[in-house]
Amino acid sequence: MSADTIDRRNTGLMTGLLVVGAAIAVVTFAIVAFALISQGHAAFNMDANVAWGLPIATYVYFALMSSGLTLIAALAMVFGFKQYYPLIKRAIWLAIITLVAGLAVLAMELGHTFRMLWALPLNLQIESAMFWMGVFYLLDLIFMAWKFQMMERGDWTSRLSRQVGIASFIAVLLAAGTLALIFGMMSMRPFWFDPTLPVWFYATAALSGVAALVFFTYLSYGMDRSGMPEGLRMDLEGPLPKLFLALAGITLVLFLSRMTTGLYANAPEVNVVWSDYLLASGWFHFAVWGGILLPFVLLLGRGMRNAPGVQMLAAILVLIGMFIERLYFVVGGQVVPLFKGTWERGLVEYAPSSTEWVLTVMGIALVFALYGLGERLFNLSDSPMAAAGEEAAGGQEAATSS
Amino acid sequence: MKAILEKMLNRRRFLQATGATGAVAGVAGMGKLAGFTAAAGSAGVTSTASAATFADARMTKNICHQCPARCGINVYTHNGRVTSIYGDPGNPIANGKLCPKGHLGTYFLYDPDRFKGPMRRTNPQKGRNEDPGWEPISWDEAYDEVAKRINELRENGEAHKIAHFYGRGWGPSDAGLYGAFGQLVGTPNSAIGHASMCAEGSKRAKAATDGNNSYNSYDYRNTNYLLIFGAGFLEAFRPYNYLMQVWGHMRTKSPRTQVTAIDVRMNPTMAAADRYLMVKPGTDGALALAIAHVMLTEGLWDREFVGDFGDGRNRFRTGRTVSRHLFNEKWTRGLVEWWNAELKDRTPEWAEGISGIPAADIVRTAREFGTTRPAMAIFERGPTAHTNGVYNGMAIHALNALSGAMFAEGGLFYQMGPSYGSGPANADDYMDDIAREMAGKHPRIDMAGTERWPFAGTMMQETAKNHNAGDPYKLKMAMFYTTNPIWTAPDAPEWEKMMSEIFVVDTSPFPGETAKFADLILPESTYLERLQDSPTYPFEGYPMTALRVPAVEPLYDTTEFGNMMIEIGKRINGSTGDYYRQIDSVENLLRHLARGFADDPGDNGVDSFESWVEKGVWYKKPYHWKQHRGVFLEWDGQGYTREMSEEEVGEKLLRTQSGKFEFKSSHLEEKADYITQHLAVERDRVGFPQWVAPEHTGGNRDLYFVTPKTPMTAEGRSGNIPHAIALQQPSVGGNDRTYVEIHPSTARDRGIRDGDRVRITSDLGSIEGYVRYVPQHRPDTIVLPYEHGHWAQGRWAEAQERSVAPGNPNEMTANVSDPISGLAAYYTGKVDVERV
Amino acid sequence: MAKWGMVIDLDKCTGCQACTTACGMENDTLPGENWQDVLFYTEGEYPSGRMKWLPRPCMQCEDPSCVHVCPTRATYKDHDAGGIVFIDWDKCIGCKYCMIACPYGVRFFADEAPLVEPDLKEIFPGSGGRLWDPPGQSPDQNRKRGIGVQPKGVVSKCTFCYHRVSQAPEGVPDLDEDDPDLVEYVPACVRTCPPKARYFGDLDNADSNVNKLIANKKGVRLKDHTGNRPQVYYLGAGAGIPAFKPKS
Repeated sequence: MSADTIDRRNTGLMTGLLVVGAAIAVVTFAIVAFALISQGHAAFNMDANVAWGLPIATYVYFALMSSGLTLIAALAMVFGFKQYYPLIKRAIWLAIITLVAGLAVLAMELGHTFRMLWALPLNLQIESAMFWMGVFYLLDLIFMAWKFQMMERGDWTSRLSRQVGIASFIAVLLAAGTLALIFGMMSMRPFWFDPTLPVWFYATAALSGVAALVFFTYLSYGMDRSGMPEGLRMDLEGPLPKLFLALAGITLVLFLSRMTTGLYANAPEVNVVWSDYLLASGWFHFAVWGGILLPFVLLLGRGMRNAPGVQMLAAILVLIGMFIERLYFVVGGQVVPLFKGTWERGLVEYAPSSTEWVLTVMGIALVFALYGLGERLFNLSDSPMAAAGEEAAGGQEAATSS
Repeated sequence: MKAILEKMLNRRRFLQATGATGAVAGVAGMGKLAGFTAAAGSAGVTSTASAATFADARMTKNICHQCPARCGINVYTHNGRVTSIYGDPGNPIANGKLCPKGHLGTYFLYDPDRFKGPMRRTNPQKGRNEDPGWEPISWDEAYDEVAKRINELRENGEAHKIAHFYGRGWGPSDAGLYGAFGQLVGTPNSAIGHASMCAEGSKRAKAATDGNNSYNSYDYRNTNYLLIFGAGFLEAFRPYNYLMQVWGHMRTKSPRTQVTAIDVRMNPTMAAADRYLMVKPGTDGALALAIAHVMLTEGLWDREFVGDFGDGRNRFRTGRTVSRHLFNEKWTRGLVEWWNAELKDRTPEWAEGISGIPAADIVRTAREFGTTRPAMAIFERGPTAHTNGVYNGMAIHALNALSGAMFAEGGLFYQMGPSYGSGPANADDYMDDIAREMAGKHPRIDMAGTERWPFAGTMMQETAKNHNAGDPYKLKMAMFYTTNPIWTAPDAPEWEKMMSEIFVVDTSPFPGETAKFADLILPESTYLERLQDSPTYPFEGYPMTALRVPAVEPLYDTTEFGNMMIEIGKRINGSTGDYYRQIDSVENLLRHLARGFADDPGDNGVDSFESWVEKGVWYKKPYHWKQHRGVFLEWDGQGYTREMSEEEVGEKLLRTQSGKFEFKSSHLEEKADYITQHLAVERDRVGFPQWVAPEHTGGNRDLYFVTPKTPMTAEGRSGNIPHAIALQQPSVGGNDRTYVEIHPSTARDRGIRDGDRVRITSDLGSIEGYVRYVPQHRPDTIVLPYEHGHWAQGRWAEAQERSVAPGNPNEMTANVSDPISGLAAYYTGKVDVERV
Repeated sequence: MAKWGMVIDLDKCTGCQACTTACGMENDTLPGENWQDVLFYTEGEYPSGRMKWLPRPCMQCEDPSCVHVCPTRATYKDHDAGGIVFIDWDKCIGCKYCMIACPYGVRFFADEAPLVEPDLKEIFPGSGGRLWDPPGQSPDQNRKRGIGVQPKGVVSKCTFCYHRVSQAPEGVPDLDEDDPDLVEYVPACVRTCPPKARYFGDLDNADSNVNKLIANKKGVRLKDHTGNRPQVYYLGAGAGIPAFKPKS
């Protein structure tokens, strides 16, 4: 089954990713650790006004990417769209490692990471969204690892495997949802305050998830679809780019709705954030028009949509754009100074410190390294169809025609 | 107890070896202070906690050193460390309260940049960027060196070339030692005070009108109307802490005290007042004259104090003169002449043209002021730091006569001195030949009191200029105490030249610009380590004197300034040394002074040195005189029952030539020629409070430039106190530096955006700073609170963001003074601003 | 147990910041770590511009949003300790969610770049896990209630000077600094306030002076729409803050 598919992938690149990624992760970790030991959290530029900065945005970016990947995997795991099966092992692996990367970044940001390990379970503050987010992401991680281990064993469709898949889907909905509500329930931060914020998080999570899946799949195959197993290749020629398009479209619509509401609102904590912070930034415009609208347009025509280069370009644009969006989202809720008088006369100025950027690089390097590791250890392109051999081909044909 | 103090005065040098800033722990000897520390537990404090707690504190009495107010403080210590400072509830100024500066005193004590002991300069080159090359020496070496130089100069007939300069003098045990020193050593320059760079103008305005060359005491508690001219009442006016206390009272009592504030910029006093009038700088006098005009035309003057027309018919009509004989004056002199010569034309409409304040607002203010009793007009440096300062001040002070506030309940009066015993020796008995020869032989270096500045008592800002010109002579040696004119004086760089040429001794506990140019550092102890007395500044009139008691032994090898003076004096040849051996020490001097309390115990029972140490203050209420409905009464021990004769009033209270409040000043008329020569005033008008236009330096430049004190400005030291820096300029969010406040329209005309770096340029030069828009200010006035821009004051003050932009405004302030008061006209220079 | 409340009379307040420095010295906070602060606001233009100010301690809310969001219950409201909101420095993980959730901006994470440089934390380095060792460090330390110098990596806030208040005799309706028997138990900001614009007392005692002031002078709570229901009341004109307007 898998030997030939593994062999045909770019093992040199994967080893390189693993080695270089791991090296960068170790070095960046060392830099951040040294900065924290020598300067304390003064190494970060967060303060009493912007309490959450780039590290939290990086965590949100990776956590939601992870959730998006699981949501895509759920199409096959939970909803029975069998044509997505060739994607889900890679998706689940990516979901695991992006969540790990996100948590690693978060761990470096917290004041007392290890204290969290006992203080959270021992105090059970069920009123806190952050508590539930921790619970659900932990469950998510457990179920995903379990599911991945089952897939690795070739158990794709047993009752238990399906149940674990469903469980991880539910966990991820709850996790991403509570992550959204950490922000969305803050009535004192009107820019975030939004009961439907989970919808925005799900959509953008799925968009960044599909982008990550496209990006890493092509990375594994060097942009060459001919080297892919049949089912995977067919996914990338039809269902996945279509899903990509749909998610970009949904995100665009939601964004326009958020922007319109934001600009229309009288409350300066909302309005001014949109007019004077988000839309005043070239980066944010790039994130929206380059990172959502442009991919949507690129993927609109069927011919373009199925071109690997276009897909890769769209994926990269989304991955960059969503990163910027996460940063502006997290900071945006804090830029209107809250009860600070003349100490903060304008919008709060925040620019991440170099340590914060190094920490973000650490997260990215970790993802690349673990992805390389995954490709070396596992057959991420595996699918029940591949296991079933010829039998599955018919199913895949049916899928491509849909 | 004496042994304890002696031990403290005879201290060893601490921590020379460590130099470590964190190494101030473990200062020994606190247990020995128990004798005069009242435990906080005296109020019944007990702690149930086993750990250390506030209730274990030892408490000593002290006086805050961060402004002239002299608030009594309770200094709490734990294990030999000062942990907190609160106002002393037993001190009539503090009443248990403090201003924002007071609490930060701990950081003065533990300032890591403090000098650790006496030092000698080894680098003969002096300059801002020259490292003095300090070499630690012993106190004996230091005293010997100073004394050797003094002895040499005396013997060469050059004793007058020795000068002392001081800023905040506290009492007989420090600045009070200067008089005898000058007399015995033979120099007219012991000492040159800083008053002419402070607020001397108001004293002269009062000397000219009511004959008291003094700041006022005020009865705020009972006043119903306050007209505040440029006094920074809720920011910097003394005693700031008490003013805020009484503000809380005035604004909630029945009836509520109405307040109209007059200033040149938006500030907390203006904002908190019932009405504010933002006047053009230097024109307060015009406003006051118009208020007086309305009071007279509308018949709102106090007839019981001022008098009235014989038939009770008011004949004051705008523009019309009045016959002197129709008006019978009571406690004033020259009202009708003043009216005829000046006031009849000083209409609100005229004042609007001068001051920019709408006439209608002036009329409203005058009617309120004139119809409310008691009502008083107060002023300080704002209106007087201009070339027309004394006339501005006289016009304002005249309102207090018109309203009958002089010596009245809810009005203003003067300060009585404490019942001190005599000192250990009388300097007159110790004058040697040199001292006798030098007496009166040379003028002061600053020419104060000479024909050049006949009204001025001190002219510190003239010193460097005169020295550099060799006119009247050049100094050889100068010793500085609590003053830093090389940074604070107008045209400050002149001082760098002078101080490069002479032998300079600095006594500050902290590094500073003076120390940078010093040849010898004799570091004083910080105030929390000092034994020092302090009779009150004019406060509520009754006599009071407070005491600094060391809360901890000095952290480093430092001592009181008074002891330095005494120790140097002991080393002067001849009978001078004998005098100082009689004085012996600060403690001995204070013990002599405290003997006076035995015959006149304070209201809090203080009758000896020991009880003074314990309570921290001696005071005796009430003020002895009161003017009530035109009758002056004297306290007889029970009540104000004894009516005073006109002679007594003239002798004790209205100390003018006429014994009346003079609207036609005999004090000024005595030197009328000088005034006509220096101000455009006709000879027969010099005595009247009147409008004289201020002269502005700066040529065609069109912006006024003011440098106010904010509540955090701590006698020039808050630039090196991080907690003070973080609160320095809250109105515009200045928490890491101070910002240049500019009206946005003025800024935009010059292409300056909020936050831009700008250059402010005067006749003398320019400084830079960062801009904050303040639309509430006058468009023609820019504001830079005074504190930063230091180049040698310690690590925080010298940090880039506080030493370069803003720069030191005194470097570009022209050395121009009010010819009468001698007060440096800090706010008179016009400037321009441009984007850098 | 009393429910401690504070009343701040804005008609008396002079905006001097004595409360802020008294608090800073009593609680050994760093520059800018203003557990107690005075906020200035300016509006309008010459010659009718306005300037106002508003002292801001922790509001010790009856329904504190910071407490609800804390994932480890490190921040808690202690009804047995006057209803004061504390932080347990041994439980705080430094996630700063409470800083996000507090509508009044009263929480600090002082383990950050210094407001004023050089950094006092480096000049007086901390021992025993403390963020720094101030030279005049106050003796009271209670990590369970966030009193004293905080350790690294945790959030800090106003405790109504619980170390003092807690020692007050049981049942006093008000802690008035003018009472020599009570002065040592009064929170630092109240004790020092020169115009006596601040009052401290038991909101559960209908006879307390603070309740009378709230009743007679029509006390209001700031940002009441948040539902946090502060135990700090404001009297006088100007009890409110202008909407944020970006500087022009």
